[in-house]
Amino acid sequence: MLRRETGDGQFCPGSEDLRRFRAFTCAGAASLALAGATLFAGGLGDPALAKTPKAKPPATVTTAVRRITESQYRHTIADIFGPDIKVNARFEPERRQDGLLAIGSTDLSVTTSGLEQYFALGGSISEQVMDPKSRDTQIGCKPADPGKPDAKCAREFISTVGQKLFRRPLTEGEISARLTTAERGATLAHDFYSGLQLSLTSLLLAPEFLFRTETAEPDPASPGQYRLDAYSKATRLSFLFWDTAPDAELLAAATSGDLQTPAGLNKQVARLAASPRLDDGVRAYFTDMLQFDQFESLNKDAATYPKFSQAVADSAREQTLKTLVDLLIDRKGDYRDIFTSNETFINRYLASIYKVPFASSQEWTRYTFPQSSERSGILTQVTFLSLFSHPGRSSPTRRGIKLHEIFTCQPTPDPPANVDFSKVQAIQNGTVRTRLIDHMTNEGCSICHQSSDPPGLTLEHFDGLGQLRTTENGLPIDVSADIDGVKFSGAQGLGKFMHDDPNVPACLVKQVYGYSIGRAAGYRDQSYIARETEAFAKSGYQVPALLTAMATSPEFFAVKIPAGVKVASQSDTPTSPTR
Amino acid sequence: MSLRFNRRSMLRGLLGGAGVGLGLPALDIFLDVNGKAWADGTKLPVRFGTYFWGLGLTDTPTGGTRWVPTKKGPGYEITPELASLAPVKDKVSVFSGFRAIGDGRPNVVHWSGHASILSGIAPAVTGSFDGPSFDTRIADAIGSSSRFKSIDISPSGKALSYSTRTGKSFSTPEITPVSLYERIYGEGFQDPNNPNWKPDPKVMLKQSILSAVTDQRQALMADVGTADKVKLDQYFTSVREMENQLELQLQKPEKCEACVVPGRPGEAKKSASIDVVNENNKAMAKLLAMAMACNQTRVFNCVHTPGASETYIAGDSKIYHQYTHDEPTDAKLGYQPMSSKLAGMVMQGFGDFLAEMDAVKEGDGTLLDNSLIMGFSDTGYAKIHSLENIPMLLAGGAGGRHKAGQHISSEGESVTRVSLTAQQIIGAPVGEFGTGAMKTSRPITEVMA
Amino acid sequence: MKRRLIELAATTAALVGFCGAASAEWSKTYVVEWNEAAMYYGAKTGVTDPGTDCPKGTNPEIDQVKLLEDAGYTPAEAKWLRDPANPSRSPVHGQNQMAFRGEGRANVYIHPETTKDYGLVGVSGKISEGINLDGDTSTGFVSPTGEKGIDNTFYKTLGCWKTYRGPPRLSSGALTFNDSMREGAWTVVIVVAGKGDDPMNDKAVDVGFYMSGDKLVKDGNGEIARDYTFRIKPDAKFEALFKAQTKDGVITSRTAADEVWLRDPSYTGELQLLRARVSLTMEKDGSLKGYVGGYRPWKPVYDGWVRARGPVIESLTWVRLPDVYYALKRSADYSPTGPGGEKTHISYAERVDAIPAFVMTPDASKQVTEVTSYKAMASKEPPEKKKIYVVDGLVPDPKVPFGESLKVYPVPAKVSEAASAAPASGRK
Repeated sequence: MLRRETGDGQFCPGSEDLRRFRAFTCAGAASLALAGATLFAGGLGDPALAKTPKAKPPATVTTAVRRITESQYRHTIADIFGPDIKVNARFEPERRQDGLLAIGSTDLSVTTSGLEQYFALGGSISEQVMDPKSRDTQIGCKPADPGKPDAKCAREFISTVGQKLFRRPLTEGEISARLTTAERGATLAHDFYSGLQLSLTSLLLAPEFLFRTETAEPDPASPGQYRLDAYSKATRLSFLFWDTAPDAELLAAATSGDLQTPAGLNKQVARLAASPRLDDGVRAYFTDMLQFDQFESLNKDAATYPKFSQAVADSAREQTLKTLVDLLIDRKGDYRDIFTSNETFINRYLASIYKVPFASSQEWTRYTFPQSSERSGILTQVTFLSLFSHPGRSSPTRRGIKLHEIFTCQPTPDPPANVDFSKVQAIQNGTVRTRLIDHMTNEGCSICHQSSDPPGLTLEHFDGLGQLRTTENGLPIDVSADIDGVKFSGAQGLGKFMHDDPNVPACLVKQVYGYSIGRAAGYRDQSYIARETEAFAKSGYQVPALLTAMATSPEFFAVKIPAGVKVASQSDTPTSPTR
Repeated sequence: MSLRFNRRSMLRGLLGGAGVGLGLPALDIFLDVNGKAWADGTKLPVRFGTYFWGLGLTDTPTGGTRWVPTKKGPGYEITPELASLAPVKDKVSVFSGFRAIGDGRPNVVHWSGHASILSGIAPAVTGSFDGPSFDTRIADAIGSSSRFKSIDISPSGKALSYSTRTGKSFSTPEITPVSLYERIYGEGFQDPNNPNWKPDPKVMLKQSILSAVTDQRQALMADVGTADKVKLDQYFTSVREMENQLELQLQKPEKCEACVVPGRPGEAKKSASIDVVNENNKAMAKLLAMAMACNQTRVFNCVHTPGASETYIAGDSKIYHQYTHDEPTDAKLGYQPMSSKLAGMVMQGFGDFLAEMDAVKEGDGTLLDNSLIMGFSDTGYAKIHSLENIPMLLAGGAGGRHKAGQHISSEGESVTRVSLTAQQIIGAPVGEFGTGAMKTSRPITEVMA
Repeated sequence: MKRRLIELAATTAALVGFCGAASAEWSKTYVVEWNEAAMYYGAKTGVTDPGTDCPKGTNPEIDQVKLLEDAGYTPAEAKWLRDPANPSRSPVHGQNQMAFRGEGRANVYIHPETTKDYGLVGVSGKISEGINLDGDTSTGFVSPTGEKGIDNTFYKTLGCWKTYRGPPRLSSGALTFNDSMREGAWTVVIVVAGKGDDPMNDKAVDVGFYMSGDKLVKDGNGEIARDYTFRIKPDAKFEALFKAQTKDGVITSRTAADEVWLRDPSYTGELQLLRARVSLTMEKDGSLKGYVGGYRPWKPVYDGWVRARGPVIESLTWVRLPDVYYALKRSADYSPTGPGGEKTHISYAERVDAIPAFVMTPDASKQVTEVTSYKAMASKEPPEKKKIYVVDGLVPDPKVPFGESLKVYPVPAKVSEAASAAPASGRK
């Protein structure tokens, strides 16, 4: 532990009480004063760590540090403290990589403004937990004297809640640090609960909570090899299936070692997959895959699309998620039908956008688009159509690019910087197709636009908000396409085309894998992805079956020792998958 | 930790242009040498900011330029797209002809330009930098004695910042005037001119929360790999900055004569149209200017509009980005009229921003006179994603250290020369910036006092 | 034009078909997004400027000090009562005292006959919006488009009063009430249904106005969004059904409806119309614009303003309320009991702007495609009693016992003495 000498008196004005308290905190608070600031200098940023001689390599290795997502944070808090706890904060932006935020989150940390938010949020949550009306149930024990510290009750609470938040039992050091905080707080405020509130805030602010740290341990079955430890496994499973921290039963299976046995693993996976909470996991996955985070900054020009509002955007997002849960989980449907099924849900806002009556007195109602609506699956819902358009017009190029990127894992490279755009001229009249023909025939543009624009153009009967239209500037819109010799027309033709594209299920398998393990599936994973895709097809493309098959395969828990860690009798190269 | 790791990282740090001065204590003392002073002898702090707007300015191969002044040196003339800067022209230096050099790396469109300017390295891919942005270095040098080390804003409503310590995690900006107001003047704000200042005991309770977190630092760092260590270091840097914030809240703040705590702004409109973006930009500039006058921060980053800017004129179905690419060049004018019109409207944002800073009187000048703001964009001529002639501007007197009001013209030298100049004017301990062909140790001395 | 009409009709027929009704029938459904008293504005600019309707412009602000003096208060007392900076004056004095200017300090809001009629200045122009209610083209106004016999005595009487005056959708009163409706206070839907082949020219068309419990939704421009769905909420009182016809897209009544009730955008809140008629145009953009007219009882109009707090209305809208009472009473032009009976009603027209909307049956199961009465389905529960906080046109002072607070308060002796000592001026 680093110590920096500070002139305490200088920073600790106030009463004698404050001064004494201050003497305690200043020492701890100052401990980091020299760190940080020089991150890119690597070891220079932390002389103490660099100088500490390591007698022997650690028994365990941290193989991943992934910032938890906003929805994982929210779900975890609701699980532990109940759904009434308000989580009101702005979370740090996430970062998409290889098509997924889950992969990008592996690179993310907590910036200063982000920590401020977590700090305030943690304070607000623990204040709600310590509300006199509900704290007895929340805490589970009572202090001998509410006006004083009570180490026994505090320890009980910290270790119970801490285990849920950290997704593993706390170390003695982790507990005692919070006990100290609780004691000092209780002493200063003459209130046990005030102290405990501080401890809880510190748990909520801890990197062990805010980051999913995955740990590998030596594999007893294969000397010299590492395997993911049971708690890390439990966490992967829980976040995939339920988008939240492991529940008590899953943690117990980790503690007992059951989870490290095939039978124990199968049992837990079956339980997770059968739970109604699978909805949360599937929603979280598709929210990520379909890039719904972009709704946060979605704007539409009010003059062009007056019907757009935040309520419409929120409704659209919910519509697609409801549609997916209904098709994929409730009806155990074929994943490929997401492009063709017109069974969906609408509310009053969406009914206005789709220009249909809302025949229900409930908030949401089932709705099946008729053939004449030209709709076909989720590509023709407001989500996809409005997200991948401009504020004041549709964009076949954008829609085409996102179609490939999201559903077939074929990202389009950025336009070449040196392309001569000067030949591409705007055309004020006519339809967008006329303009894009220039892109498609222009050398340099053509490689990408020939791939993105044809499918995008088949969606042109839907404007930038997703409303049906058949003309643009008074001319009928041509929605025909010829992709690799396959001719079709309109959104319904595109839906059928996507439904039959073998890249679509393979892409889902690849992305679910990347989503779970926090890195993009690479060359080494190809045969695994192929095997799982085959099994997926055999199941009739049922998504719960896919999740179960993957979560019970050894590859799902493969360990990759990160660069920069020295492990016992090993180089920095990745180890093979171990069970 | 192996030595090998440290050497490699150190080397990378050097290549990243961040090597010089590392490990030196970064203290405000660097600044006090030339800092202007209040009448009573107290030094006025110098502030630094970056101001980014998307899609460059118009400088076409066919029709000459809409922004590069003809006259070089002091007393340059105001060009159409710089019209909004006219009121503060003598406090702004214009840099033309500087370029980002990829050294074989591709032009990552709408990304390479500002990544090069800020990190000194042409980026490999979009979305991340290969080094920290230099504003964080400046924040380390001058930001430690204010409540916030730096503040990020993004008035277009997209949560975007190009300020990064790790190259991967970028700062979270405030995107509305209200959230900016809450962050600065909400809980934890101490009016420096409040005569009845008392330390808030709650602050100490907050400190004890952090101490429990930091207690576990070493255990957490014991077995992590290089990449994870960077992330955790960033996390603990954030913790340290928060501790610093709390420390400062226990000290009686120094009086700031120019500080007048502003009122709460109204709810902002949510739109990417240029009128709304500029309105929010102006409201946020006002709050930020006062935050600097009240010593809440000394460093800021503003992203007016993102790289491939989606701003537009309300009611027009086409966004600015699209205009830059597909609007025909008017044969007679020699440029794209709508794109140029939009460029002027976007630059109005910078004009407004500087006007707000210039409106705060401080000492015998204004806040702008005691600040240095680097304005820049992602491209030169946006139609072709040009990395040449990226518009760059240095605004503000930097407490007398910036010889402002000049036009510096270059024949394709690296943008990092301007970045280095900014860092040296502000007094950051940096002798060299950039990597490969963009490595430079030559600041533009003409503008340095 | 003709082609366009058929196109529109076809669209609707398809929708009807969707609901399983016979395909020859047609219906169009709307939601009211604006409604206001049809008050023709005779000026070319502004909202209160002089014009052909009111040559002197909107009626001027009332000098309230003078008004009190007229009622027998000394100048010092009157000033003291009207001085907002007066620290010793309670709200009761400041606001409520305006009521007590009748004979023997009677409350003029509930006893307007106890004070004199200053004579509200009415409209002197010849043009008015509205409908020919009595079929007589020799009486009434000429419409802006030249139609004769427009009956709108309500406009003639109150058209120069500031709260009603202004171009369409801009008078201060209309803005207030419509803003409230648009924020969700109430919703009115309109169903138009016919059986002919051409909705634009159909000899037998039914029009129904109904309440809905579903709120209006605003769009990104702050206007009311189109194509939202509204369920009819059966109401025991508010419902208006008309027998009409269409000619070139204009819907007019075939016969007058004896009695209809509409939700009125005013403090009165409800609008009874006798001999009621509609004149509504199905616009090219899909909207519906026009008038509902008939004879409305005038006393509730006066009472509505009084209930809205007499003193506040008087000072904000520049009027002496008793003048409104006298003017309406004087101008009333219809007696439900026949030509010789008491004229309790006044000819009136309401301007209605509606936009396309889906209208559903009360249980939301079906789209409404015909005009029938839903009154029988109305809840038998007595309507929720509104909290009364205005009594006799005044707000009781919560600090004083209820009965006390509506009494005349003595002006402090000091003020009275000072006033007596001063040279008499303007004392009645």
